[in-house]
Amino acid sequence: MTAIPDTARPARRIPLRGLNFAIAIFVVLYAGIAVLQPNYLEAALFMNFLRRAAPLAILACGQLYVILSGGFDLSMGAVVTLVVLAASMLIGGDPEMSWPVIGALYAMGLAVGLANGAIVAFLKVPSIIATLGTMLLVNGLALAWSGGAPRGDLPDNFRNLGRLVLRDVPLVGTLPVAVIILAVATLLMGWGLHRTAYGRRLLAVGDNPRAAELAGVPVKPTRISAFVVSALAAVTAGILIGGFSGVSVNAGRGLELQAIAACVIGGAQLLGGRGSVVGALFGALSLFALFTLLNLLGLPQALRDSLQGVILIAAVGASVLRHRRST
Amino acid sequence: MTAVLEMRGIGKAFGAVKALDAVDFDCRAGEIHVICGENGAGKSTLMKVLGGSYRPDTGEVLLEGAPVRFHHPREARAAGISIVHQELSLLPFRTVAENIFTGMEPTRWGLLDRQRMDERARALLRRLGSAIPTRALVADLSIAEQQLVEIAKAMLVDAKVLVMDEPTAALDDRDARSLLDLVVRMKAEGVAVIYISHRMPEVMAIADRITVLKDGRQIWTRDRVDVTVNAIVTAMVGRELQDFYPARAATGPGSPVLEIRGGRNALLRDIDFVARAGEIVGIAGLEDSRKSALAQALFGDTPFSAGEVRIAGRPASIRSPREAAAAGIGYLPGDRKREGIAPRQSVRDNVLLTLQAMAPAFASPNGGARSRPKVDQSLRDMDVRAGDFGQEIATLSGGNQQKAIIARWLMQNPRVFVFVEPTRGIDVAAKAAIYQTMRALADAGRAIVMVSSDLPEIIGVSDRIVVMHQGRIAGELPAGAEEGAVMRLALGVADAPSVREMAS
Amino acid sequence: MSVDTLSAGRARRGFRDLPVPLVVIALAAIIYVAAAVITGQTNQISLPGLSGLLQRTVALGLVGLGQTFAILVGSIDLSVAALISSVAVLASYLMQGDPGMIVPAILACLALALVIGAVNGGLVAYWGINPLIATLSTGLILQGVLAAGYTYWSGRVAPEFQALAYQSLFGVPLPVLLLAVLALLAWFVLAKTRFGAHLYAVGGNPDGAKLAGLRVERFVLAAHVIASLGACVAGLYLAARLQSGTPWIGRDGIYDLESIAIVVIGGTVLSGGKGGVLGTLAGVLLFASLDASFNMFGVDAFLKQVLRGAIVIAAVAVYAVRNKGHVA
Repeated sequence: MTAIPDTARPARRIPLRGLNFAIAIFVVLYAGIAVLQPNYLEAALFMNFLRRAAPLAILACGQLYVILSGGFDLSMGAVVTLVVLAASMLIGGDPEMSWPVIGALYAMGLAVGLANGAIVAFLKVPSIIATLGTMLLVNGLALAWSGGAPRGDLPDNFRNLGRLVLRDVPLVGTLPVAVIILAVATLLMGWGLHRTAYGRRLLAVGDNPRAAELAGVPVKPTRISAFVVSALAAVTAGILIGGFSGVSVNAGRGLELQAIAACVIGGAQLLGGRGSVVGALFGALSLFALFTLLNLLGLPQALRDSLQGVILIAAVGASVLRHRRST
Repeated sequence: MTAVLEMRGIGKAFGAVKALDAVDFDCRAGEIHVICGENGAGKSTLMKVLGGSYRPDTGEVLLEGAPVRFHHPREARAAGISIVHQELSLLPFRTVAENIFTGMEPTRWGLLDRQRMDERARALLRRLGSAIPTRALVADLSIAEQQLVEIAKAMLVDAKVLVMDEPTAALDDRDARSLLDLVVRMKAEGVAVIYISHRMPEVMAIADRITVLKDGRQIWTRDRVDVTVNAIVTAMVGRELQDFYPARAATGPGSPVLEIRGGRNALLRDIDFVARAGEIVGIAGLEDSRKSALAQALFGDTPFSAGEVRIAGRPASIRSPREAAAAGIGYLPGDRKREGIAPRQSVRDNVLLTLQAMAPAFASPNGGARSRPKVDQSLRDMDVRAGDFGQEIATLSGGNQQKAIIARWLMQNPRVFVFVEPTRGIDVAAKAAIYQTMRALADAGRAIVMVSSDLPEIIGVSDRIVVMHQGRIAGELPAGAEEGAVMRLALGVADAPSVREMAS
Repeated sequence: MSVDTLSAGRARRGFRDLPVPLVVIALAAIIYVAAAVITGQTNQISLPGLSGLLQRTVALGLVGLGQTFAILVGSIDLSVAALISSVAVLASYLMQGDPGMIVPAILACLALALVIGAVNGGLVAYWGINPLIATLSTGLILQGVLAAGYTYWSGRVAPEFQALAYQSLFGVPLPVLLLAVLALLAWFVLAKTRFGAHLYAVGGNPDGAKLAGLRVERFVLAAHVIASLGACVAGLYLAARLQSGTPWIGRDGIYDLESIAIVVIGGTVLSGGKGGVLGTLAGVLLFASLDASFNMFGVDAFLKQVLRGAIVIAAVAVYAVRNKGHVA
């Protein structure tokens, strides 16, 4: 125990550091892509890149809520799979059904999020185990329901959410609907995190739940709400993925870990307390750019997993070392 | 008789704080040498030096006349120094024998020799006058029995020196008495016993010699027959009051703001307590007095399970910190780092935390009372010094963090403010500022409850002193009471008159 | 001896204090028998039927034995599923059907497990990285390399090696015997050796263990190596049974999560210091009986997955819900 001198150390600005880092990484990686494929610099192809990255970016922002609250949500990928399969079966090709079914999908997401949150907050099961369990459960439900193979068809009005590209838009030329949805979702989640009293509570709960509790913060509802946001983000991403990739039983596989890696690249502190939506957004774009780059270089897709493992260890290990030095 | 153990000129500093300053200490075979001192006097640090957990900055340790330097607890243990730790180091789900032999298990052909473990454990326990079955799980034992296992563990190596650090703190009277019998028997067997306690009756009953430590310095070492309880207490508290305590209010206290009648829970019994507008109530007591449990009960953190709570005369239900905050109770936690700050958030966000907690969830974080000018004003009012209020609060000094948490509650404008150990680990200047703030809050009509282990602070600041002893309120003393009187109540050696009796 | 009976009398007071493994085994037996009776498949309660039940326990049981060590010291290993796949692929690649390569292949697999265990243990004990993140990441790295390189690493195990999965000795299937022997070994280490006693001490009270002179980090490292070795043997067994390994057998078997679940169901506490392999065996027996019962009732594969997810959460919750303080 050493007494900390009264003079303050050099001021550390909170959100900016992680944010600049992720944007810089993205710019570098995208420049790399452009070197290999110069036409990626055209507005239309950039928009297309954003369209394909949109689901991961939305997932990352949702995951960010849970990470900031101090936990993990590993059930996101399973929710995506459930959404894709459920949509195809419930809509059954009938365009009239699209909108009511989308409502039903969000209701399912709400249920999963509430279940995750309640298991963690009330049953005190560590979130990594609780959400692994719900991952199995939701995945199993989706497959049992569909009989293990994609059934039904998605009508165009549903699929357009993911794949329609508006043309002749002033300023940008082409504008995919998915990018509009991405913009709305990130703005909404950014508002919730950075522009509300709730967001400050969430950060405090993840940073020091005991201190938050003693300051009067309703810790359990706050924690549960984070899982709800995460699940609703997964539903949104699932709708987009169903739109441009069609129906598949593997639709969501591995997306939860990509979302976590994106948050870490975006400067979010695992186990809570620090991070921003802009960081998570650019973390996801960086990760997606990295995947694109690997593709262009002809490296196997499968190495994505390994890369994520290295990133997780490096990011967490670095924060451990930083912490050790400061105490 | 020569000393088995001699410690000469031991000094140890942590940063700028001198925990031990040139302490001389010795203990002879067949002697019980008691060390007395207030919390933080340096007793435990001295024993950690002896046990090899800390290395002294200055001085030397001699065992049977030969100098020794321990680098690891294992070396001290092997040299014949056994320590019964204040916090139990037992494994609850393992058997008594396994616990006694942790790290020193006997083996036969590479296998655990359980039979020998049982036999030796049983012999050790028998020597301690106990028949605890050696294969019982420690979790199934009473606290007193666990304490015995801890002692048996310490005696596994043929102890030349046995250190017991407040061994009776967790025991009731009967168990404490049998433990004292044991200590006396150990002495008769020729062990040099070092016994740390601030329970005066047992100190006077068993000690051969007594050493009093204070602020890391040795006040004196005397034979027990030459001292009285009063002399010990005076030596323990004997520091002149410093003049940084603020002047008390000229007027008397106002109407009751917080009232507890018949409050009890698992740790507390028969709590009748009143805090009035405009007064600072000090709550004193030793470490085992459960005074912090009272603070937690007042704030709803570990609520009362029975009894009546009134706030401003109206019955109130305080079942959680959130309800307490809504009812107008503020709380400064004792462990700033673990319970007070959200370290990675900015100073401003930490100050705003309670307001954010009480605001509608989707309100702007900077709206109305939460606007930046208002936060910055309250930070300046509390004289929180930071290069930039946007920086992480963890980068501030302890005193400034403490002031920021006070500012957090002031923005909520509570009627009652519970301070737990408000000045622990912060420097003198910040202490004075916090005392001034408490007095100013009281003068503005709030009721202040201050729980503190720092006796001079209790006496210097409080308008009324409530002394706790083993989960009950042992008595009440008026402002400016003598330290000895508080200490006697806290030690349970005096029936102090209540304030009411003194008034009549 | 009077003292021992006395201690038994103290330790057992009512149902709550019954040994967890016994309760779990009884539960498994009741479920299995009830399912057989209700569905009229009483032939399942015969020697061959029971032998089939035991064979279901082997792979998960082997992983669970190792996982028990990691959890006993207060850590956890999420990389076991990826390691199982890696070992199975490596074994079949190195053997290429050649019996002469059986021993070198097994040695290579054990070496891989040692390295992964040491990396996990190093990250957790010496670098101080949260064990969930550390082992999740090493698992990811393994999984990625495996999936990327698999097209080059195909192969098949030697037919003689398959004896490990299909032969019997004195009427007992060889894999069941393997599990029994290794379980006995693990029990022996934990209950009878100093090393075992120190593992309990490190998991139960790290600070107390340090005061008693133990080097805590080394024991955490060793426990991770043992966890990896358990996964390695499971991978070898699966390779023998399936003839060749694929990069997905570990993940598809959900061995990471299920091994944690059976350890916890068996009464080993997640924070460490209490439990043992008997409980883990009881846990795997319960899972196998549930599995067999689902089959008897004709529950489809996906619904089985749903039930397993629910059971895992419920099992951990039974122990976790009494925790004080915050969990994230």
